[in-house]
Amino acid sequence: MSAIALFRAPAGRATLWRRFFTQETLLAGAIIGLAVVVGLINPRFLAANNLADILLGNAYVAVAAIGMSMVIITGNIDISVGALIGVLATVSGSLAVAGAPIVVTWLAPLVLGVAVMGLQGVIVAYVGVPAIVVTLGMLSILKGGLISVTGGKWITDLPVAFHLADIEIFGFIPMPVAIMVGATAVAAVWMRWWPRGRAIYAIGGNAEAARLSGVSPRRTLVLVFALHGFFAGIAALLFATQLRVIQSTTPSGLEFTIITAAVVGGVSILGGVGTVVGATLAAVLIAEITSALVFINVSPFWTHAVQGTLILATVIADIERRRRRLAGAAR
Amino acid sequence: MSAVTTSARASRARIFLRHETVLAALLIVALFGLGLFNDRFLTVDNLLNQGRLMTEIGLIALPMTFVIITGGIDVSVGAMVGLCAIVLGYSWKNLGFPLPLAVVFSLAVGAAAGLANGLVITRIKVPAIITTIATLTLFRGLAEGISQAHSVRGYPDWFYFLGQGDVFGVPTQLLILIIAIAVFGVVLDRTSFGRTLYAIGSNETAARFSALPVDRVKLTAYTLSGLMSGISAFVLVSRVTTTRSDMGMGYELDAIAAVLLGGTSVFGGSGTIWGSVIGLVMIQLLKNGLALTGVKGDATIMVIGVVLIASVLIASSLQRRRE
Amino acid sequence: MRNYLLTTAAAGAFALAMNSGASAAGWDGADDLPTSPLACDASAPAAPAAAKPYDGGKAVNAPDKASKEISLVDVPKLIGIGYFNATSKGITDGAAELGNVKAKTDGPTEAKIDEQIKFIDNYITSGVDGILFAANDPVAIAPVLKKALSKGIHVVGYDANSTPDAREWFVNQAEFNGIAKAMMDSMAKEVGENASFGIVTSTFTTPNQARWIAEMQAYGAKCHPKMKWLETVEAQEDNVLSFNQATTLLNKYGDKLQGLFGMTSVATPASAEAVTKANLCGKVAVIGLATPNAMKPYVHADCVKSVVLWNPIDLGYAAVHVMRAVVDGKLKAGDTSVDAGKLGKLNVVNGSEILLGPPFIYDKGNIDKFDF
Repeated sequence: MSAIALFRAPAGRATLWRRFFTQETLLAGAIIGLAVVVGLINPRFLAANNLADILLGNAYVAVAAIGMSMVIITGNIDISVGALIGVLATVSGSLAVAGAPIVVTWLAPLVLGVAVMGLQGVIVAYVGVPAIVVTLGMLSILKGGLISVTGGKWITDLPVAFHLADIEIFGFIPMPVAIMVGATAVAAVWMRWWPRGRAIYAIGGNAEAARLSGVSPRRTLVLVFALHGFFAGIAALLFATQLRVIQSTTPSGLEFTIITAAVVGGVSILGGVGTVVGATLAAVLIAEITSALVFINVSPFWTHAVQGTLILATVIADIERRRRRLAGAAR
Repeated sequence: MSAVTTSARASRARIFLRHETVLAALLIVALFGLGLFNDRFLTVDNLLNQGRLMTEIGLIALPMTFVIITGGIDVSVGAMVGLCAIVLGYSWKNLGFPLPLAVVFSLAVGAAAGLANGLVITRIKVPAIITTIATLTLFRGLAEGISQAHSVRGYPDWFYFLGQGDVFGVPTQLLILIIAIAVFGVVLDRTSFGRTLYAIGSNETAARFSALPVDRVKLTAYTLSGLMSGISAFVLVSRVTTTRSDMGMGYELDAIAAVLLGGTSVFGGSGTIWGSVIGLVMIQLLKNGLALTGVKGDATIMVIGVVLIASVLIASSLQRRRE
Repeated sequence: MRNYLLTTAAAGAFALAMNSGASAAGWDGADDLPTSPLACDASAPAAPAAAKPYDGGKAVNAPDKASKEISLVDVPKLIGIGYFNATSKGITDGAAELGNVKAKTDGPTEAKIDEQIKFIDNYITSGVDGILFAANDPVAIAPVLKKALSKGIHVVGYDANSTPDAREWFVNQAEFNGIAKAMMDSMAKEVGENASFGIVTSTFTTPNQARWIAEMQAYGAKCHPKMKWLETVEAQEDNVLSFNQATTLLNKYGDKLQGLFGMTSVATPASAEAVTKANLCGKVAVIGLATPNAMKPYVHADCVKSVVLWNPIDLGYAAVHVMRAVVDGKLKAGDTSVDAGKLGKLNVVNGSEILLGPPFIYDKGNIDKFDF
């Protein structure tokens, strides 16, 4: 459930109802509720292939949100991930076109993602430069660097075997969905049951206390960034293998979408709270809303206004819910 | 150069002084270096022109300094610029307001948007970054919805004076920026409002217990952010003679970069207007100088990123060595 | 809980209030400019040469560099998409052929007018001889271009125009109504007169795209009245977003949708991919503007029959030749045609526009000859 139970005794009487009433269940409810409402208006929304398309088209956001959640839980933030995904996708595609073995093309973004993010983690943890500064600078470096190197030339002629996203597990589960679910599950379990995983919450909640209990905040922070890079690499793979061409530019606004997914998922920017399951559900919900707005004929001119309102509503609700939960603790 | 620091915060002042002087020194070195590389860079004409072009970001970076000093942030400023620009055009053309009234109205909308941000942050207590990421989409969406993808053009000539005119050879908007810098600088340094900003950033709980008007000050800071976005929009529309719903996109990152480069700590509690101005000027002149030297856009972006990280890195190592 | 429900209800009400029903009710995103649909039959009137008096701007006290080497900068809407890579190549090819032209392409990484203005401004200061541009916004770019003209720098546009007085000449790939006719006729030919179609575009504020759609609507109303326009979605210049939006359209309308128009070189391949992934090749037609490389897989798979439009390499090539002619004094206000190297003589239309020529169609037979 929510990791908050691990570190703070619930204030007041934690009834079964309250414990059930987590952001994750709210999100799951919202996903189902929205699908039902839109399905009533336009039944084609509920068609299996539409629901599948919503998941497939945005699985990469969910995977990236896993890493981002971890970063936010430690009380930091990263705005370079969108640019990094663009770079990693291009690297992967370029290797594939150059004839590298497919396994190499799939592993390269993971390794590179870990390296780049790990470096940022080191600068944040050991040099003390705030994460927002490092990642803001890195965003520019990656964006400029990508265009410099590729000249913006699209990568076409990808070998068929490259398309990871086309593979199906057990014959019917598409790889992106499997990866999304699998990665979320592994990360969630790790963060709940493994000491190193739980330590992430500790650093976000109270770094001093964490250190006193034997956790090295700095090393754990670098680990978190490295993991974030790992998930960004997976996301880049899903992103790159979806279409037959790779656009060698950085997708604009992607980092904000990922951050939004993590936050709507219940991860608190104040650190110390939230789960990756929530982030995944939130990413799905956001994708669902985007599709739903088209299905119910919301004027395309007002789409962003509606999206913004919904996001604001969700985070307000999350804060309210959390405040009521910790009634008694100072803000 | 260090007119803003007072002896009242002696030891802290020395640290601030350190960052800004380092930065200013870097700036002078950069200026000379770029000036050597090409002869069109250090001309009055070019420098004044750069002053004209950096006004929109500059106007936003001033309240952004206030906001970041309190430990918050506002990434919706770019969207507010877009919204105010659209409202300016729309209220003039579609609602029939006389143009001066339309301008005032758009400023009011900007302030209202900032106020909305502030209310969500102070009353409902949603963290600033989340609130402003959500309102970023909302305000941009409002701009798109109101404009319905139409631009408004054909303003009377006097309207262009702000964005394209000169006063005794100095671009009009640059004068506005200079006045704004002076006002914001004085407010931050000499008023209790400014002191409260620092107090909130250093320790908000303590500030509350000291009976400081924390919420009111924060609210004012975010409202100012919206208001200055409105003025920035006015300058922008005047400069490019049209309105578009995508105006101001990316301004937030430029403004934040200038403020952080200028030494304001993102954790709150420190920072000066002067630093933000140096940061702003440095980024603008770097971009300009590199372009004049023949460096293409993509490489320039990379350089700015490196400069940002490097400067903050140097400054924070220096700061830590002092402690 | 109550707050949550309240705010969600508010958002929902807001969403429904913004429901516009079928958004085909009059596309007017082209800033209220009048549309002029062409005749319905195949006899499109040849554009009369210089029917309008010259309305371009003039470079003030431009230094005389006839036959001397000139340095040009090309500032497209953005760099990093196939289309402008192609125009840039055309410019480089043309410059190499002319021998006394140095040209480089530099521009913003996103289609933002403010960035583009700053790029142009820097090049004015650095003293180039000529500026080639494709504008993100025709009015917003005018002040900086006029500044260039006032400093004696020659200004020639291509692909996306500015207001006429801000540049000397504009190389137009095709008239807006000509493109609209080509697109609509292709769609009608592929899926019939009763078809319904959707449009995937970049943004509603991109001037060219907005004009084309307006002209398409006018032409459709005149010549293909039974074709139904279902919806337009926007997807920036983002590949994956275009794909997702196209897929959403396909899912929303099912077999009520028979065709998709892609209005940019990003939207068209993405739409083709969406159709392919949904196994609707042959059942849903994809028509649009695109660069050959991006479309090769779909054309070879017979998913896309033909890719309309013009040759962007030729467009860039023509632009640089026009610039050279202006500098050499060979192209002056009032001329009716200009010599553009291997493209031959190009006509002047609409006062100060130079028409590239008829649309170029890429199909299975010729698409492999191109590599851009």
